[in-house]
Amino acid sequence: MVAGADIVFRAKGLTKVYRIGELEVHALRGVDFQASRGEFIVILGPSGSGKSTFLNIVGGLDAATAGEAWFEDHQLTALDERGLTQYRRDHVGFVFQFYNLVPSLTARENVQLVTEIARHPMKADDALALVGLSERRDHFPAQLSGGEQQRVAIARAIAKNPEVLLCDEPTGALDSATGIKVLESLTLVNRTIGATTLVITHNAAIRDIADRVLRFADGQIVEETVNTTKKNPSEVTW
Amino acid sequence: MVISPLHRKALRDLRRLWAQVLAIALVLAAGVATMILGNGAYASLFETRARYYEANRFADVFADVTRAPRALMGEIEAIDGVLAAEARIVKLGLLDLADMAEPGSVLFVSLPENAEVGLNRLHLRQGRLPDPQSSDEVVISEGFAAAHRLRPGAPLGVLMNGQRLELLVTGIALSPEFVYALGPGEMMPDPRRFGVAWLPRASLEAAFDLEGAFSNVVLKLAPGASQDRVIAALDRLTAPYGGIGATGRSDQISHAFLDAELKQLSAMVKVLPPIFLLVAAMLVNMTLSRLITLEREQIGLLKAIGYSARAIALHYVEFVLLIAVLGIAIGLMAGAWLGMGLAQMYAHFFSFPFLVFTRDPQIYVIASGITAAAAVGGAIYAVRAVLTLPPAVAMAPPAPADYRRRQSRLPHVFAMRQTSVMIARHLFRWPFRTLSSTFGIAMSVAILVASLWSFGSINHMIDVTFFRAERHDAQVVFGSPEPLRAVYAARQMPGVMVAEPFRLVAARISHRNLSKRLALIGKIEDPRLSRVLDPALRPMTMPEAGLVLSAALAEALNVRAGDTVTVEFPEGRRPTVSLPVSGISLGYVGLGAAIDITALNRTMGEGALISGLNLQIDAAAQADFFAAAKSTPKTEFVTVTALTISRFKQTLAENITVMITVYVILAAIIAVGVVYNFTRISLSEQGRELASLRVLGFTRAEVAGVLFGELAAVVLLAQPLGWLIGYAIGVSMVAAFSSDLYRVPFVVGREVYATASLVVFAAALASAVAIRARINTLDMIEVLKTRE
Ligand SMILES: Nc1ncnc2c1ncn2[C@@H]1O[C@H](COP(=O)(O)OP(=O)(O)O)[C@@H](O)[C@H]1O
Ligand SMILES: [Mg+2]
Repeated sequence: MVAGADIVFRAKGLTKVYRIGELEVHALRGVDFQASRGEFIVILGPSGSGKSTFLNIVGGLDAATAGEAWFEDHQLTALDERGLTQYRRDHVGFVFQFYNLVPSLTARENVQLVTEIARHPMKADDALALVGLSERRDHFPAQLSGGEQQRVAIARAIAKNPEVLLCDEPTGALDSATGIKVLESLTLVNRTIGATTLVITHNAAIRDIADRVLRFADGQIVEETVNTTKKNPSEVTW
Repeated sequence: MVISPLHRKALRDLRRLWAQVLAIALVLAAGVATMILGNGAYASLFETRARYYEANRFADVFADVTRAPRALMGEIEAIDGVLAAEARIVKLGLLDLADMAEPGSVLFVSLPENAEVGLNRLHLRQGRLPDPQSSDEVVISEGFAAAHRLRPGAPLGVLMNGQRLELLVTGIALSPEFVYALGPGEMMPDPRRFGVAWLPRASLEAAFDLEGAFSNVVLKLAPGASQDRVIAALDRLTAPYGGIGATGRSDQISHAFLDAELKQLSAMVKVLPPIFLLVAAMLVNMTLSRLITLEREQIGLLKAIGYSARAIALHYVEFVLLIAVLGIAIGLMAGAWLGMGLAQMYAHFFSFPFLVFTRDPQIYVIASGITAAAAVGGAIYAVRAVLTLPPAVAMAPPAPADYRRRQSRLPHVFAMRQTSVMIARHLFRWPFRTLSSTFGIAMSVAILVASLWSFGSINHMIDVTFFRAERHDAQVVFGSPEPLRAVYAARQMPGVMVAEPFRLVAARISHRNLSKRLALIGKIEDPRLSRVLDPALRPMTMPEAGLVLSAALAEALNVRAGDTVTVEFPEGRRPTVSLPVSGISLGYVGLGAAIDITALNRTMGEGALISGLNLQIDAAAQADFFAAAKSTPKTEFVTVTALTISRFKQTLAENITVMITVYVILAAIIAVGVVYNFTRISLSEQGRELASLRVLGFTRAEVAGVLFGELAAVVLLAQPLGWLIGYAIGVSMVAAFSSDLYRVPFVVGREVYATASLVVFAAALASAVAIRARINTLDMIEVLKTRE
């Protein structure tokens, strides 16, 4: 990717301080960041280094203490609650470690939950097909395996055709074989819908499938690696 | 003292869940309060009446005669079972007061020579009793004195047997005979237009030409005496003297009204407290079940480290008992406070010299016990889960809520939004909770329907009675029957536009083994003013031969149109005839039977006589009419329809605000209690899903919509059910309210249902608003970090 071309995300001096009584926790200490359209970025780093905090702010789930974050021409750090909700609704797809499906809805209905409120959704069945779950679409979450649930979550995240797909340890609760399937789904989706994808993971091996790898430590990005040769997930050794 | 960790946990839970705890406690409190209030008021009224009767020697049997010699008293006293007998002169007169243009009545009652030893003894409030030798000294009833600001020493203008007299008030008193002092022809006591005046016998003997005679006798029975046998013996003795039949206390007006009030109170005690306790038990069950689900892991841990299942179960029971204690405490205080208020209302409405406010500790103990039992009863089912939970299972997090069983084929009939599907499935997932919450809210609606209908019904009763049936402006009743030509005289009175005669004769109507005493009314064939209406409110013409019975009487005698009844007249020639029942009429006040006046006069064989006149009056000449009616010597009393109605409405208005307020509060307590707990539990169960929806970009309003949609479904479902239950309670209340004095029509207008629902909606909305803040602060990020 050529820097400067079609920038989707920009962050400057992004800082987050949690106050717990007297105690101040500096989760982010001035993060500068940019992402281009369609980029697949992997975020690594030790636990507590601020990865989730960063992703949550970029995804409009949390507010920064200082600094600026922009999505296209929206200044996220200036949006109020209502604005952030609209931003998430229109532009962002999330995938989390715990799939957070609605247990009372089937796989397809969980996806429809999103397509019903999205502006340019794909068909729920297409989203499920993309993650290879067409067969299981009428099953309730309690009837699906962990990997399947996570793929439903991915289908739900992408069904709105989001500009950005944010994944916080999507394979964290899965065994490696299942994890690969999930990651394959992510790369496939990234390629198919062209969503800028940020994936937090503990698994360093994943870096080979990314366009770019960021390493967080102590609230800062301490290392940035651009992959010139991107591999398919199936080629990765875990 | 060391508080064990489990006790400390119970206290902490109580504090943490304070809002839910308070909501449940208030429902329990309402149960306790209504129980105490109802039982307490019943006991108060019952005790007060009993003690008053006892202290003032209230008579057991009452009889009117036309004129009986005092010598008869020896025979009456000799009747087996008679403890004491008193001959009196009791006569109606008219008021002639400077501060009152409209007609008013006064009941003259003679005092025995020694008022200290007689029956129905007066309770003197002010002044002194009249000097037995005086001819103008009088003691008057307290309510009447207050309404006219009369004090001892004041003059009192009356028309006694047509003669104007100026009496001198020497004292003000109460009598057990007139606790509820209803004037002649009236529907509600009006102390302004009706008073009782007690005079020495001599002055009444003179005024009514009753020297050496009496017109009324009261008896006190020996303990264990048969009232029926005494009455039969008394009737035999008084018959030659115009006795129309003695009655027991149950037919004595004042006593009968007190009975009706007691009957209503006991109905309230039977209906209200069980509703509250049932709803509270259900709330306890709901809330505790959720708490136990949330604390599965803790329970498993406690079991693992050696707490017995019993100890843990007891911990939850203790938690519930703490709620019960809170509810009972609030309920006891509210009950005592409301009881005081009710007692004051009684003091205002009924003339008692004192009010025994029973603070029978037994009521408090029983109420507390029942309430605690209801709460623990609600807890038991939930706590059973604790006992059966093996520690290992308890410590593993519960599997994701499994919806597949009854859910998968659920409505795709309509194109529902997924959020609506969520709502429907969650409601079906917990059918017991959904149903019991629906039932709880329905009870709140029902309480309102069952209380609010009475106002519409009473208005209907007024409308039918005064605007469709009794359409006369005034009624004049003579002291004794007058020849028919009195009609022509009446038409000459100022302001009189139409005059319709009627005749009233005491009668006993029997059918098989059932019989009722009443005043049979003879009406002209096609009355225009005082009409008899059929159940469809169409005016009925008087049948040539035969009776028209009111529905209440027909029911009491178990007769239908076409049946034949026996009518005995204890007056004049004392004829007994068999008459067909030609029709059944509508009537809400008293037991009614009507007959053609000509047929009645033919039966009585005393010529064409009338007892009084119904009149249409020219409003412009009303004052002149009042003056003329008063000065006609034959007039015993005059009623003015407009005044009767306004008094009726005024009395209702005084009670209406109090009653509506109390019932609305009670219903709101249930509605808030159920709605709040239902929604909190639902939020606790679905908090994670709702936070996920927020992450997906659903707005706060949309997410709140999921929770409130569920609530709305339950509240809406509850409305028709509540209307139905309220209607059913209303029907049973009609039975409790109805007596021979009144029959309350059961008319539930649409506005009753609408008002009930609106009140419940408002309460639900208030609870929803309270919970809305919690939805707004759902922590999206926290939810994502933790697994279920
Ligand atoms: N809600 C919070 N309150 C207080 N501290 C927090 C909160 N969320 C995260 N932190 C702290 O901020 C730091 C960064 O956390 P996080 O972004 O979750 O790290 P990572 O995802 O890299 O493991 C940690 O020290 C963490 O304890
Ligand atoms: Mg993290």
